[in-house]
Amino acid sequence: MRSPFIKIVLAAALLASGAARAEEETDADRAKRWKDLETAMFADRKVADGGKFISIEAPDRAMDAALVPVAVKIGGKVPVKGLYVVVDDNPSPLAAHFTFGPAADPREVKIRVRLEQYTFIHAVAEGADGKLYQTAKFVKAAGGCSAPATMNDQEALKDLGAMKLQTLATFVPGKSMEVQLHIKHPNFNGMQMDPVNRWYKPARFINEAEVSYAGQQVFHFEGGISMSSDPAITFGFKPKDRGELTVVAQDNKETVFEHVFPIPLTEPAGE
Amino acid sequence: MRPLLFAAFLAASVPEPSGYWTGPNQGDTPDTVTGGTVIHTPMLAGMLRHGHPVLIDVSPPPPPPPELPPGTVWMPPAHRDIPGSVWLTGAGKGEIEPAADELYRTKLRTLTGGDLGRAVVLYCHPKCWLSWNAAKRAVSYGYRQVYWYPDGIEGWEEAGNATAVVQAEQ
Repeated sequence: MRSPFIKIVLAAALLASGAARAEEETDADRAKRWKDLETAMFADRKVADGGKFISIEAPDRAMDAALVPVAVKIGGKVPVKGLYVVVDDNPSPLAAHFTFGPAADPREVKIRVRLEQYTFIHAVAEGADGKLYQTAKFVKAAGGCSAPATMNDQEALKDLGAMKLQTLATFVPGKSMEVQLHIKHPNFNGMQMDPVNRWYKPARFINEAEVSYAGQQVFHFEGGISMSSDPAITFGFKPKDRGELTVVAQDNKETVFEHVFPIPLTEPAGE
Repeated sequence: MRPLLFAAFLAASVPEPSGYWTGPNQGDTPDTVTGGTVIHTPMLAGMLRHGHPVLIDVSPPPPPPPELPPGTVWMPPAHRDIPGSVWLTGAGKGEIEPAADELYRTKLRTLTGGDLGRAVVLYCHPKCWLSWNAAKRAVSYGYRQVYWYPDGIEGWEEAGNATAVVQAEQ
């Protein structure tokens, strides 16, 4: 009489221990993956835990794997000169590397990335002293790299490199201000199957941008194919009375795009 | 009556194509596959506890490395799927090449020991037509116990189940 009950309990226990073991194994794999990436990107430099002053805001589960918003906030008193955003389980994991200049306010940076599978996203901040600090967040989304481009080439390449700037805070001279830069570019990642000819569209993406304000560097950006199409970067900088924000961007086919935005913005933002 | 009818209409919003699906691999898939049975994670886990269904992962192969600026880190992660699976990348294509078709037939024959009544489970990722095609194809080969697991690798992982690294069959 008792045996079916015992069987059920046993099955449940087996299931529970199986699940726990699976998660441990997967955790070990993910930790190893990160170690491998650390070595590939930073060689033998030590990457310390930065969880106390770096945080990542991203959805636990993203609706669109090709467009996952990621915000990195850097608090604390450690001056920061650079930031790396890494999507661990993408084939080309380094999404963005920012090097901050004197006009930057690096406390918050937002980008949008593609996720090919469930993955950790790592943010690595580089202190002014050259030390590296990391934190991570797990995000569930899949298929964002191989998802076919949603428009044809002609539409995708229309107004290539057109830029918009949106201010997210009121302009107060001398006070740090947050803005979003938007560059129209399909950012083809070389992994998207063309539905017509059934081959992969060659990679074409924004891989560099230099942003400066009144002659001072805000940041230099190096982007990878993990950045979503139409790259959008939210960042902070310190405007004076008035000045110009200059953006020079380039894609991997060496097409250069430039735009100068007066700050405060006088016209409706961008073109 | 009306809301029920409407619900039924919504549920059947993606009809089964008459042939194989030749559009993009990813997208909304039907709820059914004619001649096969749709199963979800608890059922598959149960089947694996009590039997030895043939597990075939038909996920697409990784894309070749794109042309990237020198020095770019290109490190595709290992492919992971349900432990004990065979990874057959070409079996779910809408228009299958004769060689891939032959490979699929041969692998199925070997894995089932030539038993057309053996349970065969086809899967890839969620919202992936390749596994739907592969299930339909297995039915056309004469297999009588074809299961389509549309939750895919991520659905399996999501439920806390183990995955294992696998190499694609050549």
